[in-house]
Parts: sequence; structure tokens; C-alpha cells
Amino acid sequence: MKARLNLALVAGLVLLLIGLVAFKSSYFDQIAITTMIFVILSASLNLITGSAGLLSLGHAAFFGVGAYTAALLSTRFGWPFWLTLPAAGAMAALVGAVVAVPTMRLTSIYFAVATLGIGEMIYVTMLNWVGLTRGPMGVRSIPGITLFGAEGMVFSMVVTAAVMLAALWVVHRLMHSYYGNSLRALREDDACADAMGIDVGRLKLQSFGVACCLAGFAGALFAHTTGFISPESFRFGESILVLSMVVVGGLGSLYGSVIGAVILTVLPELLRDLGSWRMITVGGVLFFSILFLPRGLVGEVSAIDLIRRQIRHAPGASRAAW
Amino acid sequence: MDPTVLLQQVVNGLSIGLVYALMAIGFTLIFGVLNVVNFAHGEVYTIGAFAGLLLITAAKPPLWVVLVLVLLSGGLVGWALERIAFRPFRRFRDEASLKSKAMREATLLSSLAVSIIVREALELKFSGEMQTIPQAYLLQNPIQLGPITITDGNLIIFGLSAVSLGALQFVLYRTHIGLAIRAVSNNVLGAQFVGINTTRAIVATFVVGSMLGAIAGIMVGLYQGAIFPQMGFEPGVKAFVAMVMGGLSSIPGAVACALILGVSESVATQFFSDGWKALVSYSFLLVTLWFFPSGIFGSKKEKM
Repeated sequence: MKARLNLALVAGLVLLLIGLVAFKSSYFDQIAITTMIFVILSASLNLITGSAGLLSLGHAAFFGVGAYTAALLSTRFGWPFWLTLPAAGAMAALVGAVVAVPTMRLTSIYFAVATLGIGEMIYVTMLNWVGLTRGPMGVRSIPGITLFGAEGMVFSMVVTAAVMLAALWVVHRLMHSYYGNSLRALREDDACADAMGIDVGRLKLQSFGVACCLAGFAGALFAHTTGFISPESFRFGESILVLSMVVVGGLGSLYGSVIGAVILTVLPELLRDLGSWRMITVGGVLFFSILFLPRGLVGEVSAIDLIRRQIRHAPGASRAAW
Repeated sequence: MDPTVLLQQVVNGLSIGLVYALMAIGFTLIFGVLNVVNFAHGEVYTIGAFAGLLLITAAKPPLWVVLVLVLLSGGLVGWALERIAFRPFRRFRDEASLKSKAMREATLLSSLAVSIIVREALELKFSGEMQTIPQAYLLQNPIQLGPITITDGNLIIFGLSAVSLGALQFVLYRTHIGLAIRAVSNNVLGAQFVGINTTRAIVATFVVGSMLGAIAGIMVGLYQGAIFPQMGFEPGVKAFVAMVMGGLSSIPGAVACALILGVSESVATQFFSDGWKALVSYSFLLVTLWFFPSGIFGSKKEKM
């Protein structure tokens, strides 16, 4: 399968960001950064929910683990950004792996319920372990992103964009490879995949770990760019927001989750004047996209379509055969 | 620990557990019939509480009138919910697609979307704050009963839950529509073969389940004196946990587990601070999923 990262899409995204920078307004910069963070989150959730078929209702909790790791390491111990970023990813992956080991036996709705429970447990811990996390007051004055002496809003944006592109590349490579094929086999029928010699448990654990690690990176970026985090940003509602992005864009389609993330972060911002209509918009977009576009805006290209297309474009291929 | 205090906590826990049980029955009924999780069930509970509050502030009727009207509005909400979030996704009528994975995930997400919209709309209309409830309607008058103190709210919750559970048994086992509901949840295709209108049975399930949810909402609202747009989330999750613990489609199992949850949460507040209380039910959930994947009281045949 020769699926390359869609250059046009990436270029469009970068152009959009440059356009936002051109406004020279910190409000637009903040939206751009938030959008990129949510692109990372939705791409990583798409890896487990879209490709591997594991419906996770607690993704924001791992985002939160990353954010708290980065925030506490930098405010308490003065760690610089280049250390807190990998630490946040590692911590989120670790927590993800620890909770995932016993959860991996579960399938379908049971897995969804277990992730909901785990997400809420992490939220309750953040809220009540006041000695470590300062509870509902949140962590304040987290230093911004600084690297080699460079800092500032535009620099933060560049760093976030770099992390986002790296994350997209990783997810893209994982999804469009034999590894991705085995993940999709898992989604279609895990008992059958098991019978074909695919190590189902290990595969689930690996993909879950990778997704949590990416969510942790997103958390570190979030903590450093906003400067303030509190448990409310990592609750069930946020997990649902990320899930909506994946569903609106199209389960299993990476471009879809990028577009979904852009739509669901930018659209509520456009409607900001309407106040609390924001979440209603999210709910409405989610509802109508399930109703009218069950495959999402950019549906997953099925393997057979891809092969057909390649054969059609191959020199000397007969069209009649397909 | 002082046995009186313990007894007090058990009584409080039982009344909260009964409320979870009423919610869990709604979940279980719907899961039995359609094999889907209705994520908007917590919002039915919230709507029940708000409907009661609106009535109280508008007309100040006696309590039983409020309860009857809340029951009716719950039924209406259930009907609307089925119509909006579930029926559009039931495109085919055979059993395979009625209980398929795609259908399950589509309706899970659509009910989630509806629950977001309802909750936010309520917040827009009433603000996120606690609503003020007229003093006369609060079910918090203390009654001394030997060494422990209960409130009239406890008694009303006990009484109404018993009546509701009895009525549910009557509907399910003594009426035609109950027979249809049980038939559909047992085997959709078979039910169609013997001429049962499956759509009607499904609507009836939603109506009955939502009635129980709405009545639970108004009772807790008046008992705890707290009615606010986000109130449905926690009992919704707890009832969901009770359903999973009970084995997904067993009503007695769900009721028993809801009572266990309520009592253990209430007793746990003696040992931990209030904030950690929520961990109790999630731990129950994970332990159940890990060690009893088909539920503590569940049958072996249910396979997902």
C-alpha cells in the first residue's frame, strides 16, 4: 500500500497556521496551538479506536497524566521543556500500560466501560490528591516552552507544530503498514485474528501504549502553552470531545481525525459569542455526522478499494476485469 | 466503629442504592432489548428532577401530583429519546443488524450526543448552579427511629422504590406489552415470527425505563436538595456500574449490585474523605470486569 502522508493536507494546515500568525493576535495563536494539540489527541485516539477498534472513553485522562507530569516537574523541580516533554510521554505510556494489562482481555462495550472507569479514577485522583496536584485549584504559572534560549508564542507554535507532525507521521506509519493491517484484523474479529496467529494481547497493549504516550506529549504541550491546568480539563467530557473529533472525521482515517479536530476546535471558537452554545454545537455536529455520515467526513479507504485503484492505474491493466 | 453510626450509614446507603437501582433497571431493560448502552439515561434523571422543579415552582401542587406528572414526563422523554437517538439507526429489521456492533456503537455515540445537547441546553436555560427548591417540598424532616435518625425522604424513597419495583414486575410478567418486551429481549426474530410488533415493544421499554429514571431524579433532588444540570452524570455512571456488575441483562442482579454500591459508598465515607468516595464504585467496576467478566449474578451465555 502506497499511502503517503497527504502533502496537500499538511501544507494546508501549515498555511492555516501561518495565516493565524499573520493576525498577530495572541488569541488566534492560542487557537492554533489548541487545534494542533487536539490534532495529536484525535490522531492518537484514532489509532486505538479507529484502527484497533477499542472504543476508549478515557483518553483525556492520559492527556491529563502527561499535563500534570510536565507541570509538576517544571514547577517543583525546575526541569526544562526538553526533559518534561519525554517525561510526560513516558509517564502517560506507563500509566496506560499499567491499567491496560488487565483491561486488554475485555472487548467491545466492556473495554469502553473499563476505560470510562479508569478515566474517572484518574480524574478523582487528580482532584483529591491535594498534596501532589493541588486539587481543584490546579497548577499555576507553569513556565512556557523554551528551547536553546528561544521562547515566545510563535516559537511555542513552531514546537507544537513539530511535535504534531512527528505524531502524525508515527500514527501514519503505524496505520499504513502490515502492523496497521493486523490492528484492523483485530477490529474486525479478534478471535479470528488470534486464530491466524496474531498476538492479540500484545498488539492491543502496544497500540494503547503508543496512543497514551502521544496523548502525554499533547498534555505536556498543553501545560506549557496555557500555563495553568486543573482537573476539569481532563474529565469525561473532554474524552468525549476527542472521540467526537475522531467520529466526525471518520473512524480509521487519519486525515479524517485531523479534519475533525480542526472543525471541532475552530467551530466552537467561531461561535464563541454565543457563549455556552459551544458544547451544544459539538453535540449537534456529533449527532448529525453519525446520522448522515456514518463513515465520517473522510471515510477510511478500504484495502480492496486501494488495490483496485492501483491495478487500474497500472500500465496495461484491463479495465474490464474490475 | 460505633454500631449506631454504621447502622445510620447503612440506612442512608440503602436509600441511595435504591435510587441507583431504579436507574440501573432502565439501563438493563434497554440493554436487554437492544443490546445497546443508553448514555442519555443520566439526562432522563436530570429532566425528571427539572420537570418536578418546574411544576413545584409553577403550581405548588401536592407531592403525589408532582410524582405522577414527573412519571408521565419521564415516559414522554423516553419516547422522544427512542425516536431521536435510536430509531434512525435501526435501518434494518433482522436480528443480526438489530444487535450488531456497528449499530451498538452508532447508538452509543448518538445517545452521548443527545445527552451533551440536553445537558448544555439545561445549563443555558437554568445556569449551572444549584436550583432553589421551596422549603416545603424538601424531604429532609428528621424522624427519630430508636438510636438512628432518618428523614421522611428515606421513607419516601423506600416506599416509592418498592412500589416501582412491584409495578415493574407487574408490567413485565402480567401484561401483554411486558410479554412482548421479554420476548424481544430474548429473541428478536422469534418475536417477529409470532407477530409481536418489535418497534412497539422497544418504545415501551424506553418509556418504562425512563419513567423509573425520572422518578429517581425527582426523589433524589428533593431528598438531597440539589437539582442542577450536571446531576445526572454520577448516578448514571453508578447505575451503569451496577448493571455491568449484575451481568448486563439481569434485573435482580442489577438491583442487588446497586444496593451493594450504595451501602459501600455510604460506609466508605466513614473511612475516607468525601472526594475519594467515587473511587469505590469504579474499583468495584474494574474488579468485576477483571474477575467476573459476565457479572457477579450474570448468566454465562451473554457474550459480547
